[in-house]
Amino acid sequence: MSGPSILDALRGDVRREAPVVGSAQPGDQDRQGRRGRRPSFRRPERTEQTTRANQNGLGGRHLGIGLSLSGGFITLFLFGQFAVQLVEYPDPAPSVVAWAVLLATTVLALITAQRLSARMPDWLFATALAAGAGVVVLDLIGSWGEASSGIYPTAAAAVGTLLISLATVRRGRDLIAAALALGLLLFLGALTEERDDPLTFAPDLLTISLAVLPPLLGVAAVRGFRRMAQRELDLVLVQSTISQPQFAVGMFASEKLARIDLDAETLLDDVAKGRTALPLSAEKSTTAAALATQLRLHLIRGRRETWLHHAITESEFLGPSVDLHDPSGLAGMLDPDQRDALLRTIWLLISDATRAEASVSLSLGPIRPTHGVTARQKLRFPIQLTTTGVPRRRVDPETWQAIRVVGPHVDSSRDGSLHVEIECSIDNPADA
Amino acid sequence: MQRIYKERDRLLRRAARLCGLAGSAAALLAMLVPGGLTVSTLALCLPLLLLLVAGQYLLGRSGRMRWVALILMSGMAVILLVGWSSPSPTELNLVERAVIGGIAAGALSCVALVLVVSAARLLGLFTAFGATVASVLAATRASDDATVPLLLTLCVWLAIALVGWWLAESVPRVMQRIAFIGRAHLAERYASELEAQRRQDARLLHDTVLATLTLLAHSGVGVSPAALRQQAGDDARLLRQLRLGGLPAPRRSGVYTLEPATESTLGSTLESVKQRFGRMGLDVDWHGSGQVLLPSEVLDSFLLALGECLENVRRHAGVARADVTITDDDTTVRAMVTDAGVGFDLSGVSAERLGFAESVVARLRDVGGNARLFSSPGSGTTVVLEVPK
Repeated sequence: MSGPSILDALRGDVRREAPVVGSAQPGDQDRQGRRGRRPSFRRPERTEQTTRANQNGLGGRHLGIGLSLSGGFITLFLFGQFAVQLVEYPDPAPSVVAWAVLLATTVLALITAQRLSARMPDWLFATALAAGAGVVVLDLIGSWGEASSGIYPTAAAAVGTLLISLATVRRGRDLIAAALALGLLLFLGALTEERDDPLTFAPDLLTISLAVLPPLLGVAAVRGFRRMAQRELDLVLVQSTISQPQFAVGMFASEKLARIDLDAETLLDDVAKGRTALPLSAEKSTTAAALATQLRLHLIRGRRETWLHHAITESEFLGPSVDLHDPSGLAGMLDPDQRDALLRTIWLLISDATRAEASVSLSLGPIRPTHGVTARQKLRFPIQLTTTGVPRRRVDPETWQAIRVVGPHVDSSRDGSLHVEIECSIDNPADA
Repeated sequence: MQRIYKERDRLLRRAARLCGLAGSAAALLAMLVPGGLTVSTLALCLPLLLLLVAGQYLLGRSGRMRWVALILMSGMAVILLVGWSSPSPTELNLVERAVIGGIAAGALSCVALVLVVSAARLLGLFTAFGATVASVLAATRASDDATVPLLLTLCVWLAIALVGWWLAESVPRVMQRIAFIGRAHLAERYASELEAQRRQDARLLHDTVLATLTLLAHSGVGVSPAALRQQAGDDARLLRQLRLGGLPAPRRSGVYTLEPATESTLGSTLESVKQRFGRMGLDVDWHGSGQVLLPSEVLDSFLLALGECLENVRRHAGVARADVTITDDDTTVRAMVTDAGVGFDLSGVSAERLGFAESVVARLRDVGGNARLFSSPGSGTTVVLEVPK
């Protein structure tokens, strides 16, 4: 497994499956799936390519440098402690060697990881871990049984800062496991050590915390950062739907049509070149029938949907949580500002919710009759927005601001679910 | 821009909560080492620690400065309490030193994460750090006991503040990068839409492909293998041209053009339809006008509908011959497809089952046309297709 990067999850989700005839549109799948990571979620191929070509700069390496520097301060403290207690050691050799090994390992690991474009291969990680284990053992040997004279493990605890500097180049769970193993090792060392004064256990505990907590917190920080980047990326990617015409062929449908064409071409070519015998086998003729059906559906119904439909199906986060009911395609008639605000509204409602079961249901229309001379140039229709799992008090002020851009609204709250009715008014396209 | 800062602040305050809670847990563990703190001190410390933890939790939720103040005050109270209630006034024991260090470095340093984002807050950071150091000095009465806790405090605060600052700097960077990806992706979406449009525009091509696929779906029974192979080869070549970026349209059988035409005559294309069905064993006789000019998308729909009708005749009527009569007036072009086949009861078969509504009517309505169906068992079928000129 190569090391992670910001879009690792995104890339991991891609299934380069062979074209399967008769499968549903990818975005339609798993509507009932859990929010967050969806193993079956797949982005359109073009989206994949764009994000992959640009993912290098998504901050992983930059963040790694910061974490390493910060870990350096902790190492500095532990080294200071080591320097203070150096005179007390009966035999300082093992601990001195431990420090030397640790520093060499850290420097080498960092340089190699940076060379390998911020990715750490398994063998290198294993080597670093082995070196770390060696450091722990050496340092524990050096400080064993000397707690009463003020000697505590230092280099062993500093292995934690070696781990923190790997937080961006290895998967979180590897590092968490390593940090926990380190903590366990130190704890067992402290527990089995003979001590005259039980109070010396307290500094040992502090040392163990200093070893275990920084890598764990570092992993958490990197994860939080990645999740934020992932969400932001998802939003930015679906925001591109805003500029679509009223109805458009989505990226999924476009891709699908290209794939059907290619499958048809292959099949026809096989027949023409004699690679497939005539009359066709039952299996091949079923394939031909399925291809014909799909081609018909794509060409005749056109697979034209509104931007909002595309935005929801193409989003990893909105897809499973948003339910859209827009039979007349009214979403397509909103102007760009309204679209942007509507998308942001749903986004904020879903992404701010901490609970996983938060969902939003949207219903547009029907068009209301209007009266009066000026009103005739406008079309009016309501947007009903109902949330589940998002109580009113947790709704961000920015959400209300966005709703106001879409139109004047009335909201009510019942049983912890929020109901908003937005009165939408748009220029009548017949007058334009 | 505002969103970015919001995201950044949320990231930082969540990190602060996690950091603080971890530090508090470490300090609590040190407190509970038996024999370190007197029971009365412990009893006073625990509620204060609880307050500290509550402050950390709330800081993670809202990031308000009042929670920073709560954390600092309850934390410093614990430090002073542990230092001043020590039974030996001259020297603190190891547990007391560890608790002071743990609170000052671990539990309090988390506020640094939310204090690095602006100049005003940086001032707050220095104040908080100064107050923490002062409380450690006061608790240890500035004796030698203070050295290790102070060093620990300094290093951990520096480490945490650096991480906070670094995260805060990284967020706008990554957001910029993401915005850049967004712009690139917008171009990709346009390209994807154009691509879909181009493929959908190649309707004539898709019609012949559809017809061939339908034949293959029936295992190619009833058509000579050589004819089917030739048809499949033609279609595959056209699909390849389409894939490589052309917009091929079969104009006559065997001869193709890559030029998209805006207006075409019906006659030449009718001939290719006739040849196609001829190869499949259905003779089509044309009657009437062959020189009607139609806009190309109307022509495409018209020909698709016609092709579907003839395909239905070929498959269901049980005859080898169909008549197509083309008439036109000032506004409309009309095609009447007639066969003398088995016919069927209109009320007995739903239109959808024949694929009629989907493939013929919908396609014609797209361009403002219409289709009507007349049939009864034993007396053949007639379909009238109409499109505007």
